[in-house]
Amino acid sequence: MTVEPPPVIEVLAEGTAPFLPVDPDGFREWVRDHKSRAMASKLVTEREAVERFVADGDYITYECNYLTRGPNLVINEIIRQRKRDLWVAGKFTYVDVGLLVGAGCVSKVDTGFFLATPGVRQALAAGELAIYEYSNVVMSMRLEAGAQGIPFIPVRSFGGTDGFTHSGAKLITDPYTGKPTVIIPALNPDVAVIHVQQADKYGNARIFGTGISDVPAALASRKVIITAEEIISTDEIRSNPGATRIPYWCVDAVVEAPFGGYPGTVPGYYASDPPAVMECFAAVLRGDVQPYLQKWIYGVGSHREMLEKNVGAGKLLDMKKREIVKEGYRA
Amino acid sequence: MTRAQAFSEREVAMCVVARMVEDGKTYWAAGGGTPLYSVLLGKKLYAPDAQYVTEDGVIAPIPMLPFEPMMSMVASRASYRALSWGNMNTAGYFAQLGFMDYGVLNTLQIDKHGNINSTFLGEYGAGGRRMHGPGGADTIAACCWRTIVITDQEKRKFVERVDFISSPGFLDGSEGARERAGLPRGTGPWRVVTPAAVYDYHERRLRLVGRVPWVTVDEILEECEFRPLVAPNVELIEPPSEEEVQILRTELDVRGQTTDAAGGWITWDGKEYARPA
Repeated sequence: MTVEPPPVIEVLAEGTAPFLPVDPDGFREWVRDHKSRAMASKLVTEREAVERFVADGDYITYECNYLTRGPNLVINEIIRQRKRDLWVAGKFTYVDVGLLVGAGCVSKVDTGFFLATPGVRQALAAGELAIYEYSNVVMSMRLEAGAQGIPFIPVRSFGGTDGFTHSGAKLITDPYTGKPTVIIPALNPDVAVIHVQQADKYGNARIFGTGISDVPAALASRKVIITAEEIISTDEIRSNPGATRIPYWCVDAVVEAPFGGYPGTVPGYYASDPPAVMECFAAVLRGDVQPYLQKWIYGVGSHREMLEKNVGAGKLLDMKKREIVKEGYRA
Repeated sequence: MTRAQAFSEREVAMCVVARMVEDGKTYWAAGGGTPLYSVLLGKKLYAPDAQYVTEDGVIAPIPMLPFEPMMSMVASRASYRALSWGNMNTAGYFAQLGFMDYGVLNTLQIDKHGNINSTFLGEYGAGGRRMHGPGGADTIAACCWRTIVITDQEKRKFVERVDFISSPGFLDGSEGARERAGLPRGTGPWRVVTPAAVYDYHERRLRLVGRVPWVTVDEILEECEFRPLVAPNVELIEPPSEEEVQILRTELDVRGQTTDAAGGWITWDGKEYARPA
């Protein structure tokens, strides 16, 4: 009787792009040493959150984008504090990468999808920006692997593309089926920023509606900043544990952030402000974001000040009024 | 079906895709433009029991129309009354598992094997034009059983070989190329729809199978950089109906952002179709 030898893992092809080093044991040690399990308040302002938890050179991921449930107050604060040399997970992003690049905060992008603006093209041509190619799902699956504490994950897409060649993916012989299989490196960002509808002061967070990779990003990242439309009591969290999507021990900072997604929408809470969204698009598409940054970010000290000076209560109330769908967005 | 008297090129493509939508099938519509409106139009008129997902993991919503400007994903009106709310990974899982019958995409550039490019025009990294990237289209094109691509009928968009494969078609066109690259067995490109033509694939090569009455086969072939195969009988595509364009304009794309109506109207006087100059 002949026995088939088991297939051998063989690397058939591999991408050539740099990727954030994969280090599951290092991540575990970070969790052991830096992730507090104490029930202690993590409430800070967006300014403190960025000062303490975003460093030059960090790899950063944020959830959704500038148009919808984006942590826009923190994106703006990163620009305001002139952080440099960030490596951004540009999945399901839009104008925000263009803003961050235009403000000089970014040196590398893993994408995904983002608005390729004149500023992005200039930075590429000047050698100030490197872009590594993935796709939205491939990026969110990299975070999924990071969230599981494993070094890589197989995916059924991405093979055969030119993105594969310019990524950190590999094509291997799967030792179980013997078939060619794409694997992608786990992603454990330095920072995740996630805007949610509700959280308590410890960081137990509720997210309502669809999303991109909120929970994987929260689990996979070394430093997690939660910004919340509403701070609710832990008693309320305990009244409906099934609604908690992110448990407190993942979280390093909680920012109370009403209208924190402005000028985008936060589903169930407020609609977007289309003229302000278009103003942002126009700025990045023109390739000169400085006047926009001056008006909306540098010229104001905080998100709250921006809302007071540049937006006003009338418009905010109108945004709330236009968000007529509430179903599904409360516990 | 009363024929519409005036419509835009993009409306033609959306109406054609809408008629491909089938009851009891699942659709992953990329982004929020022509793919999503095509599927919604198909559901409204032809296949109410077709179901769709978008990249944010929404399953089978009954959207509150019209959408807010640019708000087609992670948005309350777009995901209204869904059966389930997931995320990008759950959308990916269902596609990997084989639950997605059709993927519907639009693209900047397509080649004779159905590979599509949304990443880079020109030689990669050498002074070409950086574009937005595949978004979710890579997973859609890899994992849905059949892929429908919407694009414009222009020579610069129908090329011999795309500058950059963002999302996979039949890759180099050889048998089994997708499987050798790790993609699921039995998946791949199915139709390409433009405002002038419909293509299928014959032995993994694009083949012209339909044209609109106001454009000749030769005119279509002139707008291809390579020569696609041509079916023995290129069928006439039924032009948009009054009902179709009315739904597109009054319920779906009420702001005209996707239909590109400003690009000029194709008109019908009851006898002949006239194209914008």
